[in-house]
Amino acid sequence: MIKLNPKLSQKLSYTLLFMATMLAIIPVLVIIFFIVKNGASSISWEFLTSMPRNGMRAGGILPAIVGTFSIVVCAIIITLPIGVCAAIYLNEYAKDNLLTRIIKLAIVNLAGVPSVVYGLFGLGIFVMFLKLGVSIIAGALTLSIMELPVIITTAKGALNSVPQSFREASLSLGVTRWQTIRYVVLPNALPGILTGAILSIARISGETAPILFTVAVFYVPNLPNSIFDQVMTLPYHLYIVSTQIPNMPKNVIYGTTLVLMMMVLTMSFVAIFGRAYFRKHRKW
Amino acid sequence: MVDKIQIKNLSCYYNKKCVLESLTINVVKNEILSVIGPANSGKTTFLRTLNRMSDLEVSFKRTGDVFLNEENIFYMNMEFLRKRVSMLFAMPIPLPMSIYNNIIYAPKRLGLVNKKSDMDILVEQSLKDASLWNDVKDRLHTSAMKMSGGQQQRLCIARILAIDPEVILFDEPCSGLDPISTAKVEESMLELKRKYTILLVTNNVKQASRVSDRTAFFLMGKLIEVDKTEKLFISPKEKQTEDYITGRFG
Amino acid sequence: MRKSLDYIIETIIFICGMLSIIFVVLIFSFLLKEGLSFFKDFSFIKFITNQFWYPNSKIPSFGILPLICGSVLVTLGACLIAVPIGVMTALFISEIAPKGVRDILKSLVELMAAIPSVVIGFVGMVTIVPVVKNIFNLPTGLSAFSGSIMLGFMAVPTIVTISEDAIRSVPGQYKEGALALGATKWQTLRRIVLKAAMPGIIAAIMLGIGRVIGETMAVMMITGNAAHVPHSIFDPIRTMTSTIAAEMGETVRGGMHYKSLFAIGLVLFLITFIVNFIADLFLGKNKNL
Repeated sequence: MIKLNPKLSQKLSYTLLFMATMLAIIPVLVIIFFIVKNGASSISWEFLTSMPRNGMRAGGILPAIVGTFSIVVCAIIITLPIGVCAAIYLNEYAKDNLLTRIIKLAIVNLAGVPSVVYGLFGLGIFVMFLKLGVSIIAGALTLSIMELPVIITTAKGALNSVPQSFREASLSLGVTRWQTIRYVVLPNALPGILTGAILSIARISGETAPILFTVAVFYVPNLPNSIFDQVMTLPYHLYIVSTQIPNMPKNVIYGTTLVLMMMVLTMSFVAIFGRAYFRKHRKW
Repeated sequence: MVDKIQIKNLSCYYNKKCVLESLTINVVKNEILSVIGPANSGKTTFLRTLNRMSDLEVSFKRTGDVFLNEENIFYMNMEFLRKRVSMLFAMPIPLPMSIYNNIIYAPKRLGLVNKKSDMDILVEQSLKDASLWNDVKDRLHTSAMKMSGGQQQRLCIARILAIDPEVILFDEPCSGLDPISTAKVEESMLELKRKYTILLVTNNVKQASRVSDRTAFFLMGKLIEVDKTEKLFISPKEKQTEDYITGRFG
Repeated sequence: MRKSLDYIIETIIFICGMLSIIFVVLIFSFLLKEGLSFFKDFSFIKFITNQFWYPNSKIPSFGILPLICGSVLVTLGACLIAVPIGVMTALFISEIAPKGVRDILKSLVELMAAIPSVVIGFVGMVTIVPVVKNIFNLPTGLSAFSGSIMLGFMAVPTIVTISEDAIRSVPGQYKEGALALGATKWQTLRRIVLKAAMPGIIAAIMLGIGRVIGETMAVMMITGNAAHVPHSIFDPIRTMTSTIAAEMGETVRGGMHYKSLFAIGLVLFLITFIVNFIADLFLGKNKNL
């Protein structure tokens, strides 16, 4: 075996590591570029605001946008308060005991359950057992359970970043523990909690597998009236138009992809920049 | 002379390690009692037990009793106790809100004030009592985090005065301050003892001799000696006390 | 007054804290209930060893061996791509890249995780699949190979993020000690830092595997969906996840086929449970460093 000079071997290895990093970064940029390039021409006001026509081969994707929006809003309304409360419990109240360890393990496992299994669970419990049917509420409940571990983890991080001394100062003045959390800890953790929530919204707007059997349908001729309606959604629509319908015009597929991707990426960017901004402008 | 606080046979443990051993001592109303001693002598634990801040820590255990006006504090509502026995920490900890809100925060939560006009009066009075009013009266609604260290510590004193406690615990309140700020804090303490009973934990032997009526010397979790300040400093009964105050160790 | 309000709120908070446990138990028991009622009619041994997945034929056969093989093959393929790229990227970002660009690089890597899997599936379908077909001269590019490539890139962010944390949490003294002894920076990284961060890196890999096994949409769109035991990585395959996603829509609710998909869900749940549990153990180890 040839023994390389350490300096040279360092140079070689660094180049290799750099190339690996490029391999990790370039694909995503290529994907974004590819979709923007192919999809930009199909985006128009009409595409965004009208109903599909002609077996979805023409017209717009309005019902899919509205559908995704309604599911995501319902899901976050359900999951955010529960997740924040759970984070408050873990960060502010929980003692270091067996119960806490079990909760943490449960959170890790909830986060690891495959999304399609959430779909099965949602079908079994919300659609069938609770007889909610294939509906916005069934899908939103499914997604909210799936998103719970993410919300808990980010909210817990945000709470944990509030210095312990603030809690002591407040408690030492005779203020109760809950009041301390409500008036000192939560306001200071809020930016972190909100950026976490936005990231979650971004993630669940792109999820397909959990909504396959709980809310999404192939085609509905009108917009939803209540949370018990079925809806079209952007990711499911993309799946349908790209794999299930032969001779689909390319512009519809790329247009849908671009809308979905931009929605998700915009929210992610807002969250990432928001987090950076709040870190810089932290009051302590 | 009335005993404000009586401590009977108090022992404290962290993770089963004894940090304070069968302490019996009393605190007289309207006096300043200093607690001196080297690091790890149990001074801060002692202080934090008096308003049960140490109960926040899971590994903390205690035996013995503490009476405030002859009422056992361990049977008292914890929040009510801390309203009556409040604490100033070593480092100034202003809450991340405006100066005005820092003062009004606890009285509001405790339900001591409701009307805006009462709040204004309370803020002004507390700041004046902590001799901070003239420094900040024009910027009451700016962030308290932007004040200097000395000002922050006086703000924390004002915050305590606003809830009108009976006893104030000072936990090395000047350890992070320059000499001028320290002098100002000491001045306030002498001012405050007319109305409040004060316990002062300090690493600074000179500070204890300057401000306190009586001084207690702790060593390795034990009370070695407590006496009138001038007596303890001029003719201590114990050899260990003498060694410590003359700077032979600690 | 103040106290009783506090009590009510603190009770609610406690219940919310318990919900995670309740949900895990609920998910598991639901899958178990449907799965067990399936195994009453179809033996578990046959379920995991039979080579034929013909749920709709006259005499249905519910062998998930081809599906397990499909999942394993794609996962292995994806790991071959994701592990080296992920770990090397984590090393580069945490130890070599200039401080100013670190956060930018990290955000760019994490961008991949933000893209919905159905989008990645679609892009793979129109880019990688035809290319694979032409280069290797295959009847179809929809294969385990194409799937592995896309899934590999999807797993990279998970591996990078967690490995990077592990590498960064290696105490500075370790590095300084080695550097003071005259080792080059690269030698220090390779022999000291990498070794100290290993539990965290293993956890990162486990979580990456968990992500790949659970991935559904992209895999369903790229791998060809052929439920037979594959002979090579260029065969079309079908994974457990895509079977559930593709077939649930056509089943009779409560029928054998329906229950069999819950049984697959149960197997998936158990696999990911174990994978995450192991990852968590390694993460715990890293903290005690």
